[in-house]
Amino acid sequence: MEQNNTNQTPFLKVEDLVVEYTSEGQVIHAVNGVSFQLEKGRTLALVGETGAGKTSIAKSIMRILPDPPAKIKGGKIYLDEEDVLCISEAEMQKLRGQKVSMIFQDPMTALNPVKRVGDQIAEVIRQHNRVTKAEAFDRACEMLKTVGISEDRANEYPHQFSGGMKQRVVIAMALACSPELLLADEPTTALDVTIQAQVLEMINRLKAEFNTAMIMITHDLGVVAEVSDEVAVIYAGQVIEYGAVESIFDRPSHPYTQGLFGSLPDLGKDVDRLSPIYGLPPDPTNLPKGCSFQPRCPYATKECNMQPVKMKEIEKGHYSRCCKNNDLEVS
Amino acid sequence: MAALIEARNLKKYFDSPKGMVHAVDDVSFKIEEGRTMGVVGESGCGKSTLGRTMIHLLESTGGNILFEGKDVTNAGGRDLKNLREKMQIIFQDPFSSLNPRMTIKGTIQEPLILSKRFKTKGELEDETDRIMNLVGIEERLRDSYPHELDGGRRQRVGIGRALALMPKFVVCDEPVSALDVSIQAQILNLLMDLQDQYGLTYMFVTHDLSVVRHISDDICVMYLGQLVETSPSKELFKNQLHPYSKALLSAIPSTDIHHKKERIILKGEITSPINPKPGCRFATRCPYVCDRCNSPQKLEEVLPDHYVSCCRVREINNL
Repeated sequence: MEQNNTNQTPFLKVEDLVVEYTSEGQVIHAVNGVSFQLEKGRTLALVGETGAGKTSIAKSIMRILPDPPAKIKGGKIYLDEEDVLCISEAEMQKLRGQKVSMIFQDPMTALNPVKRVGDQIAEVIRQHNRVTKAEAFDRACEMLKTVGISEDRANEYPHQFSGGMKQRVVIAMALACSPELLLADEPTTALDVTIQAQVLEMINRLKAEFNTAMIMITHDLGVVAEVSDEVAVIYAGQVIEYGAVESIFDRPSHPYTQGLFGSLPDLGKDVDRLSPIYGLPPDPTNLPKGCSFQPRCPYATKECNMQPVKMKEIEKGHYSRCCKNNDLEVS
Repeated sequence: MAALIEARNLKKYFDSPKGMVHAVDDVSFKIEEGRTMGVVGESGCGKSTLGRTMIHLLESTGGNILFEGKDVTNAGGRDLKNLREKMQIIFQDPFSSLNPRMTIKGTIQEPLILSKRFKTKGELEDETDRIMNLVGIEERLRDSYPHELDGGRRQRVGIGRALALMPKFVVCDEPVSALDVSIQAQILNLLMDLQDQYGLTYMFVTHDLSVVRHISDDICVMYLGQLVETSPSKELFKNQLHPYSKALLSAIPSTDIHHKKERIILKGEITSPINPKPGCRFATRCPYVCDRCNSPQKLEEVLPDHYVSCCRVREINNL
C-alpha cells in the first residue's frame, strides 16, 4: 500500500522534533530532528535500541515528558491539524485518553495497586464523558470483556492478576475512550511469547474495529513484522531509515538496519555465526558531528564524519540517512 | 559420549504461605560433554530454578544430580567447594549480579584468590589479564566499577568471573535477554567461541526461542515445573509433538513478512504451580484436552531421541 500524500493533511504529523534532557549540567540529545506522519488505521513502528529516543518521541506526542529534566526544544506535532505543543495544559488534558492514549511498557507499574481495576478504567471514562459512576463502571466492564477478561474480575486489585492480564487491563484503559491515536510503548516486551501472541492478536483486532492509528514502539523486529504498515528505524535520536514494512524487511538499506537484521538469530535459517554490530551506540551528550552511526559502521569513510547526513529517497517511499546509499545498494 | 551432568527425577519445591510451589517437579535429563542443552519455557515455569538446583545454588527437594558419573546430590563441605570450581553460572541481569563496590579486576580475581591456585601476585595478575582478554574487556577498564560499564561489557565481566577457574559445566541463565540485539549477538558469539576453545558444556536457560535454536544442540521444553518435550534442537524446531511446544513455537513473531505462519492462540490462563493437581498442567490451556489428561503424564520416547509427555501425542500427530 502506498502512503497517500495528496493535498489532505495527515492525521498525525511530527516535524523536526528535538528533545533534550539536562542532567548534571550536561545536555543529553535524546531526539534530534525526527519527522514522520501517520494516517488513521495505519501502524507505524518505531524500532531501535535502548536509549535511541523512541519513548521520548511518544511522550512528546502525549506531552508527558518530565520537565525538567526533559525539554522539547523544537519541532511541531500536528494531531488532526492542531499543534499539540502550542495548546494549553487544560486542552491537552482533554485530548489525553480521548484522542490519544498510551500503553506503557511495564504493566506491573502502570496500574494503581490500591485501586480496583474496574474503577481505574472507569476513571478514564468519567474524565472524558458526562456519565454517572455506574454507567462508567458498566463501560469499564465491557472494555474488560473486549480484552478477554471476565467482568466479574472488575472488583479485583492488580496484584490478583497475572502479568498478561495486567497488560490487557492497561490496554483496556488505553482504549476505553476509543482514542484515534494509540501509542504503544513496548506493550508486549514484559510478556511471555504465548501471551504476547494473544495480546498482539487483540491489538490488531481492536485497531481494525476502531480504525485507530497506532505507533508501535519496540525493539523486536518480529513484532514489527507482525503489526506494522510503516517502519521508522531510530538511531541516536534520528530516523535513519523509513519506509513501508515490505521495503525495510526485504531491502534494508542503512548499514545499521542491515546490522540489526544480521544480529538476529533467525528461526527459519541455520546460521553458524551471527554478524553483530561492533561497538556501542554513541554517547548522547557528545554525538558525532556527521553520521551518528559512522563510528560503528563497516563502510564508514572520512566523508561520513564531515557534516550531518540528510535523508535520501532511495526508492519510492523508502528513505535512508546514509551518504553511501548508492554504493550500498549494489552490494 | 558419557553424560557430564545428569538429573534424575529432580524436584525443587518452595514453601509459600499458600502451599508448596512445585517449581521443578520430577525432571530428568542428561547433558553430554561439550554440548549445549537449551531449556525453554515461559516465566515461572521453573527453568531458572532448575539451573540453580543443578549447580547446588539451591538445595533439591528430591531426586538426584550426577556429575561426571558421581552422585553429587548431597555434596557438602570440601566436595561442594571442589564442585563449585567445575560448575558455574552466568546470570541474567548484568546490572544486579555484579558487586557495585568491587572493581572489574576485583570481581574477576575473587574466584582466583579463593581457589588458592596462584602462588604469587604476579601469577594472579597475569591470569586476570588473560581472562579479561579472553572475554574481550579492554585493559583500561581494569579499575573501573560496574556502573561505569554498559550492559554488554558488564555481561562480559560476568562471563569472565564464571569462567575464571575453567569450569566444565556452565549454566547460562538468560545471559542475553537484558541486552540489545546488536550487543546480544556479540555475547552469543563469545559464548560459542569459548565453548569451541575449552570444550565447555552449557545449560542455556532462556525464553527466547530464536536464541536457543541458534546455540543449542538439544532442547528441553518446560511447562510449570515439568519437562513436556525434549529432543535434539533441529528435530524440535522441525517437528514439535507436544501441544504446548506447538503453541510456543507458533507464537514467536517471525521477521518473515511474506510467509505468515499459522498461529495457535492459546486460551485460558496459566494454572498455579502451588499444590498442582496430579494431571497434565497444560490441560487448562490445551486445545486437545480430554479426560485422560487428569491422570499423571509420563515422558515417553515417541520418536528416536524425541521424548514427549502427553497422553494423546500419537493421536494428535498421527504417529
